[in-house]
Amino acid sequence: MRLIVERFPETARDLWTDEDTVEVQIARGSVVETLRTLRDDSQFGFFMLADAAAVDYGVGNQFEVVYHLYSDKHPAWLRVRVPVERANPRTPSVTGLWTGAMFHEREMYDMMGIVFEGNRDLRRIYMSPDYRSFPQRKDFLLPDDAADSSAAGVNPLERPETWDLTTFSRELTSSAATYPPLDTQVDVPAEAYPHGQESADKSRPA
Amino acid sequence: MTAVDPETRIPDPIDVDAAEEARLRAAAGLGPPAPVPGSEYAGFELIGVPDRPPQTEREREMYTLEEGEMLLNMGPQHPSTHGVMRLVVKLRGEVVTDLDPVLGYLHRGIEKLCENATYTTVLTYVDPMDYLASMHNEHAPAIAFEKLFGIQAPPRAEYIRALVVELNRVFSHGLMIGFLALDMGGLTPILYSFINRDDVVELLASISGQRMLFNFFRVGGVNWDVNDEFLSRLGTWHGTVLKSIGDNEKLITENEIFKGRTQGMGILSADQAISYGVTGPNLRASGVPFDVRKAHPYSIYDELEFDVVIQERGDVYARYLQRIAEIKQSLHLIDQIMDKMPHGPVQAQVPGIIRPKPGRAYGAVESPRGLYSVYAISDGGPTPYRFRMRDPSFISLQVMPLLMPGHLIADTMAIMASLDPVMGGVDK
Repeated sequence: MRLIVERFPETARDLWTDEDTVEVQIARGSVVETLRTLRDDSQFGFFMLADAAAVDYGVGNQFEVVYHLYSDKHPAWLRVRVPVERANPRTPSVTGLWTGAMFHEREMYDMMGIVFEGNRDLRRIYMSPDYRSFPQRKDFLLPDDAADSSAAGVNPLERPETWDLTTFSRELTSSAATYPPLDTQVDVPAEAYPHGQESADKSRPA
Repeated sequence: MTAVDPETRIPDPIDVDAAEEARLRAAAGLGPPAPVPGSEYAGFELIGVPDRPPQTEREREMYTLEEGEMLLNMGPQHPSTHGVMRLVVKLRGEVVTDLDPVLGYLHRGIEKLCENATYTTVLTYVDPMDYLASMHNEHAPAIAFEKLFGIQAPPRAEYIRALVVELNRVFSHGLMIGFLALDMGGLTPILYSFINRDDVVELLASISGQRMLFNFFRVGGVNWDVNDEFLSRLGTWHGTVLKSIGDNEKLITENEIFKGRTQGMGILSADQAISYGVTGPNLRASGVPFDVRKAHPYSIYDELEFDVVIQERGDVYARYLQRIAEIKQSLHLIDQIMDKMPHGPVQAQVPGIIRPKPGRAYGAVESPRGLYSVYAISDGGPTPYRFRMRDPSFISLQVMPLLMPGHLIADTMAIMASLDPVMGGVDK
C-alpha cells in the first residue's frame, strides 16, 4: 500500500483498505498505463486479473469500473476503481493487457452500457444482439416491479406512488412524454442501437 | 431500493416506439434521427449465421467465409455442450479453423435479482448458478457479507463449511472425469461417476435437506450442525470412496484410446492461461500454482495442510490428472477437518433484517472450476446495492477459440469437457 502511494502520487487517490483488500482510485485516462505498471513492475507483480466489474451509482452520479488484481508478492487483493462519466460512458479497454478481460468487458457493455475503447469484439454477450436496454443500470425498472415486493424489504405502503396501481403502471409505460427531447439524452451510447429502432423485447407491457 | 423519480428516470429505449419518437422530435423541432450505426453494412453479403450484419471486427472476421469453409452450429442443445450453449464452429473439412461461443440461453439475471433481495435471501439465489458447486456458490457471498457486517462465523461453523465445500469438490471433480470420458464416447465412467456423486449428494442431503441446491450457508454460520446420520454416512463413504474413484480411474487413466485422444491435445501454456483469466484446476494443469485456498486463505484453510498440485503439460490429459490429484487432496483435507473439528455453536448472533454500514467487500473462494468471487457493495439498506459474481467457467470459456482451431471437430468436445464449464454459472 505504501508502495502505491510512492509510485503513483498523482493518480492514486482515496486509498482505503480492509482486512485483505487494498483499494485505490485512479483516473480514467491513466487506466492502461497504471494497470500495465502494476502488472509488469517487479515490485508489484499483479499478474492476474481476478475480476472486472461495473457499478452504477445511480442517475446523477457516475459509473465505476472495478478491477481486482492478484499478486503473489503482496498479502492482499488490489482493487482499482475507475470512475466513468454517466453521460459519456467510455473507458479504455484492458484487453491489450489481459486477453481474458474480453468477456468481462462484453458483460459490462451488455449489462451497463459502458463502451470499452479498443476492444475489438464489444458485442452483447447475454442479451440478444437487438436488445436495446441495459438491464443492470439502476434506472432500469423491472417489468414486474419485483423491487417493490415485500420480499425486497420495502413495504409498498411506504411508497405513495405505488398506491394507485393504474396510475403507476400508466406512468411506467407512457412516461416518455415527460422526458426532455431525445437529443439531450446522451447517456446511452449510440453504439447500443446498431440495428434500427425495432425492439425484440415484447415482454414489456404495451 | 429507493423510489425512482419519473422525472429523472432515463427511458428504456424500448419504451419509446418509433411513432412516439417522431412526434417528440417534431415537437422539439428536431429533424429525423441520425443514421443508425451499422447501416454501412447494408450491402454486406450475409453468409450463414447470424442473419444480420456483423457488429465488430472480430465478428466480421469470424462470419466471413473463405473458399472451402463452412459454419456449423453446435447447440444450443447439443448434449456435449454441458448445458444450453451454442458454439458456432468454422470448419474446413473436418478441422476447426475458428469458433465463436454464443452465450445467454440460460441467463436469469441473478446479479440483478440479488440486488433486490435481502442479504439472507441472496444466499438462496446464488445456489442454481454453478449447480455442481452450490456449496462454493454460497461460500463466497457468505464471506463477503460477513466482511461487510464485521461478524465472524463460529469456529465449528467454519469447519463444517470447509467440510461440505470439500465434499462438494470431490463430487464435482468426479463428475468432470465421467463427462470427459462420455464426450469421447466412453459410456461406462459416467455411470461410476454418478454412483460416486450420489453417495456424496446423499451425504450432503442428510446435513442440508436437499440434494442439489443445498441452501446450507447462512450469514454468520451454517444452517444445521452435523448430525449422527451424517457422521455415520461419512464414515461409510470415506471407507469406500478411494476404491470407487480408483475403479473409475482404472478404466481411464492408462486406457490407450483415452491417452491417444487426450495427450498433446488442447495445450494451454501458463502465460496464455494467465492472460485469458483461466483459474482453478485448468490453470494448475498448465503449471501455475495458484490456488485461492493458499493465496488468500479463507475460512480455516490456513490451519490445514494440503499441497497445491500442478501438472506440467497443460493438455487435456493433464487437466484430467489434475482432477484426480485434487480429489485426493480433498479427501486428505476432509480427514484433517474431521480430526480437528471443535465443539460449539454453528451460527453467530445475527439480526433478522441485516443493514450493514455502507462499504465494499470482496470474497473469493476456490470453487471446483477456479476463482469464484463476489464483490458486494452496501449502501446501508437491507439489500446489497451492487452484487457482482465472477464465475470461473464463464471466463475459462474464452480459451476455446484459442485451443480448438486445428483440431478435429470430434476433439473439440474433449477440449471443452476438460475445461469443465457449467452453463448455469456461465450464464448467471
